[in-house]
Amino acid sequence: MAKTILAVDDSGSLRQMVVFSLRAAGYQVTEAVDGQDGLDKAKAQVFDLVLTDQNMPRMDGLSLIRALRALSTYQRIPILMLTTESSDEMKAKGRAAGANGWLVKPFDPQRLTEVVKKVIG
Amino acid sequence: MTTIQKTSALQIKELLSGVSEHGNRHLTEAETDLIQTNILLKEAISKLSASFMAIHEAVEAQRQMVEAVLANQDVDNGAAAALQAHSLQVGVHVNAAVTGLQFQDMTNQLITRTMRRVIGFRDVLVAMGVESDALPVEIDEAALTLLVGKIAEAMQARSTILENELWKAVCQTHMESGDIELF
Repeated sequence: MAKTILAVDDSGSLRQMVVFSLRAAGYQVTEAVDGQDGLDKAKAQVFDLVLTDQNMPRMDGLSLIRALRALSTYQRIPILMLTTESSDEMKAKGRAAGANGWLVKPFDPQRLTEVVKKVIG
Repeated sequence: MTTIQKTSALQIKELLSGVSEHGNRHLTEAETDLIQTNILLKEAISKLSASFMAIHEAVEAQRQMVEAVLANQDVDNGAAAALQAHSLQVGVHVNAAVTGLQFQDMTNQLITRTMRRVIGFRDVLVAMGVESDALPVEIDEAALTLLVGKIAEAMQARSTILENELWKAVCQTHMESGDIELF
């Protein structure tokens, strides 16, 4: 059975590229348009991986990660940030919030697939 | 207390009103242009993405047809290897295209940031215009000092708000793929 990924980003074009890259690698990808939408979908279904942007309306990425880590079902689920942010300060905040990795945009589909494979197989 | 000459006070009033009015007008135009730029970029990326997906589907279908032909016929090793190499090349270009098509996300963030600065500065100029309109024609130096102080405070407050809100999230100056770090 295909591994499931929740891709959270307020940019439609970005989500399209993430979906294209990961579906081509055989993953089942669900999209969320912002942090709140991501949290709602994560509560409805336990995904194998969450991939989230940081700067989004309604709920940003760090807030989403903290909210997910507060759920018993998401204590051990890998969460990766996919964001334009690249400062050490933000990465430290992401790590403290519970992120398992930090990917800086723009992403290369092959490298994204490799890191996802490394994290969830 | 010294009273500033009527003409000087009027000139100051007119200057401040003028700066406010002209600044407001130009910044409103700037905001409109930025909104339009964002709309065009969004539409361009939508069309580019759709074309890319269509081309990719067509190339993928062609690849499958070629593989079917190869499986059913005797093809020399050289031709098979060339086709394989070509297929890998296509993959490289597809990856590069996917990386490049992410430009709209970053430029949208930069444009939004710029728009907020424009709006923030326009708000300050409008506030300046309101204060100057309320100025009596005859004012004393103390009142003028108070006004200048109020305007400076408003600008400083707006600057502080903007600096706190407009964290520079996009530092990229090229479209090479970014770093990956697993914690």
